[in-house]
Amino acid sequence: MPSLSYLLARLLQIIPTFLLVMIFIFLLVRLLPGDPAIAMAEAKATDAQLEQIRHNLGLDQPLPIQFLVFVKNTLTGDLGRSIMLKAPVTEIILDRLPTTIFLALYSVLLAICLAGPLAFLAASRVNGPVDVAIRSVFQVGLSMPVFYIGLVLLTVLAAQLRWFPVGGYGTGFLDNLHHLILPALSVALYTSAIILRNLRASLIEVLDADYVQFARAKGLSRRIVMTRHVLRNALVSTVTLLGLSIGNLMSGTLVTETVFAVPGVGRLMLEAIFARDYPLIQGLTLTFAVLVSVVFLLTDIVQSWLDPRLRQS
Amino acid sequence: MKRLLPILLGAALGLAAATSALAIERGGAMTFARYDDSTVIDPVYADRNPDLWMVTGLYETLLRNGPDGSIVPGLAEGYDVAADGLSIKLKLRDGLKFSDGSALTGADVVFSLDRARNPELGPWAGLLGAVDKVSADGNQVTLSLKNPDLTIVSILATFNTGIMPQAAFEKAAGATDQEKARAFFEAGPVTSGPFTMKSRVQGSSMTFARNPNYWRSGTDGQSLPYLDQVDFVIIPDDATRILKLQAGEVDAAEFIPFARVGELGADPALKMELFPSTRIVYAPINTRETRKDGSKNPLADVKVRQALNYATDKNVLIKLVTFDTGKPMTSLMSAATQLHYGPEPLYPYNPEKAKHLLDEAGLGGGFEVKFTTLAGSADDATLFTALQQMWSPLGVNLKVEQVDNPTRGEKNRSGDFDIHTYGWANDVNDPAQITGWLGYYKQRQAVGTGWNNQEFNTLFEASNVEVDPARRKEEYKQMQEIYAEGAPLLFLFETPFAVAVSKSIEGYVQTPLGANDFSEAWRAK
Repeated sequence: MPSLSYLLARLLQIIPTFLLVMIFIFLLVRLLPGDPAIAMAEAKATDAQLEQIRHNLGLDQPLPIQFLVFVKNTLTGDLGRSIMLKAPVTEIILDRLPTTIFLALYSVLLAICLAGPLAFLAASRVNGPVDVAIRSVFQVGLSMPVFYIGLVLLTVLAAQLRWFPVGGYGTGFLDNLHHLILPALSVALYTSAIILRNLRASLIEVLDADYVQFARAKGLSRRIVMTRHVLRNALVSTVTLLGLSIGNLMSGTLVTETVFAVPGVGRLMLEAIFARDYPLIQGLTLTFAVLVSVVFLLTDIVQSWLDPRLRQS
Repeated sequence: MKRLLPILLGAALGLAAATSALAIERGGAMTFARYDDSTVIDPVYADRNPDLWMVTGLYETLLRNGPDGSIVPGLAEGYDVAADGLSIKLKLRDGLKFSDGSALTGADVVFSLDRARNPELGPWAGLLGAVDKVSADGNQVTLSLKNPDLTIVSILATFNTGIMPQAAFEKAAGATDQEKARAFFEAGPVTSGPFTMKSRVQGSSMTFARNPNYWRSGTDGQSLPYLDQVDFVIIPDDATRILKLQAGEVDAAEFIPFARVGELGADPALKMELFPSTRIVYAPINTRETRKDGSKNPLADVKVRQALNYATDKNVLIKLVTFDTGKPMTSLMSAATQLHYGPEPLYPYNPEKAKHLLDEAGLGGGFEVKFTTLAGSADDATLFTALQQMWSPLGVNLKVEQVDNPTRGEKNRSGDFDIHTYGWANDVNDPAQITGWLGYYKQRQAVGTGWNNQEFNTLFEASNVEVDPARRKEEYKQMQEIYAEGAPLLFLFETPFAVAVSKSIEGYVQTPLGANDFSEAWRAK
């Protein structure tokens, strides 16, 4: 396992990341044309009413003051009130976040279950008919946008065959597994295509490596060669890729959650941007930053466990 | 004979009621797929359509909008405007109750109207700006006005004057009115309308349950609504919402894209409802002498604006964008708006006349115009492409600029545009709202166009304090004529509200103002 000091160093690196994220998101949302008052009173308010709304929201304060208030509140765990939903941002995010995390883990799990065994199958019969077939099918998955895969799955499996519900969210764990299978699958098809290509390539490379030949030559069982020598080495780059794709997944949920009517933070982010809901956008971006940092940290830990050479650097 | 007549009449009425009652079935639930969720359904704070189109489901107003747009009695049996126009008296019905069984009194009305006209609270307070004082004596409610205002009667039938229970609201947690409003709503509010709120998962679903104390009666003589509950699910994506309906998981889906209207209309399990609406699609034209960047604005010349209107084939646009569900604009306001005046479609397609007008304006050689559209909107993309083709023979070189909704709002307000797309639906059953918005310079620079017509402005100001309905009608006629002539807009089309409903559901209505009315909906078993 990685040492404590390594973990601490990695954790400390997160702090400047957060500061930068806070500054960037604070400025970026304010650089967008239009503001919450305009988005809120779109159309119907007079200019005087707009000024009143801006005043009520504290948007007439100078930017540095707004920023200091934002930093101070964030440090005390207060992300402000959502302009669009008229409720505390923390409350809203905590309410919606479990759904997105559930969906993300579900789709990663599906992607691993799909890509793992098939990558082995493909790598063990390089350029054979099975390998070619697997690669071609997943190439299609890779070249289709997630929302399109989603709509195809919805139309065929939900609306026509009625095996699954058309979008929405269930109550309870099992019901959610049932409700979220199509969104999870449509994301998983894409993710698994990437993982499959990468894992297959590293497997082929590792299988051909001298140390594997040597392990075989010294008479180790096939199982031990595969798990201890082949898989462990081949997984290093795949884990990196998986970590990165979970990061991507967070942004991917924007689309998936809208198509499948899943009430998670991805869809919320989209709505918040269109409403120029500064506090909510800021809160969600920070949440995404925390999630991605945690995933990357976990990736690093797993990697350093897989590959001891990484611990020294 | 004298005594027989009422009996005969009664029997005849009873028979009529029995026949129609046969058709209607009570009980059960319906599921309705919405494009967006409500946040706080409160008469005062509702500021987005998904909120304000639900308010009257929970809170009844003193007066109501009849199906034909007329004002009919609501919680009040009727109203009486004083001869000098400075006060309005209303009498509440006897025995009115809120959903929790408590009495609905004059005090609740005063509380609700005072809240509705408090400018510190919601965005709609200005609608009651003329009200000086609201008082109640028993069942008698009196509104004293600072100046005559004929729109107040319509406002008393508008969602923002829905009647709320004073006692229950004040008991809700929170220091400010806004916090109380949210706590009151989240806890499942006490209501005066046809429904109460049973449960709700933010962003996902909501359930309305029947209010057993609602005052109106159905055709079977018992109290409305017929349904025990209405379940709402939030499905933002159009295609998914329709699939959900086709799979039979919901009974109705709103905001059907016009491109799908024909297909769903042909589905034997569905009814494709196209409810008449006050919704218009139009394009404000910047009429200022110079553009924001300081260059000379060719659209400042009224002849150029008229020419572009003549060069636009509205019927083709209606076919392309609304799949023939829309109709051309005949005035600045939709034909469903009160005091609408527009005997025929504005600026019928006439490229020769357009060419002639441009020559007169000295722009026969052509010029460049920027058209600002909503990014990702298929309708806007179609509009742009069609207009580009229609206008290019005149030498008008149309350039596109794609922005998102708040950016478009910002550009409109700062005058940084040539022409852009916009939509509107009335919130109030009165023409003053749309007329002030589109044409009155002092309110919003005539929808950001900068069009400042003295005659129009004076007429608008006069009409706002007019006590004589006939004179007000005449003023509105003149304003609509002046506006059409001045052409600060590209007049496009009116569109209906498209809702696809399962054949087993009857009686659901979306009103011309957009409100979802489930009070007379019922399910055939």
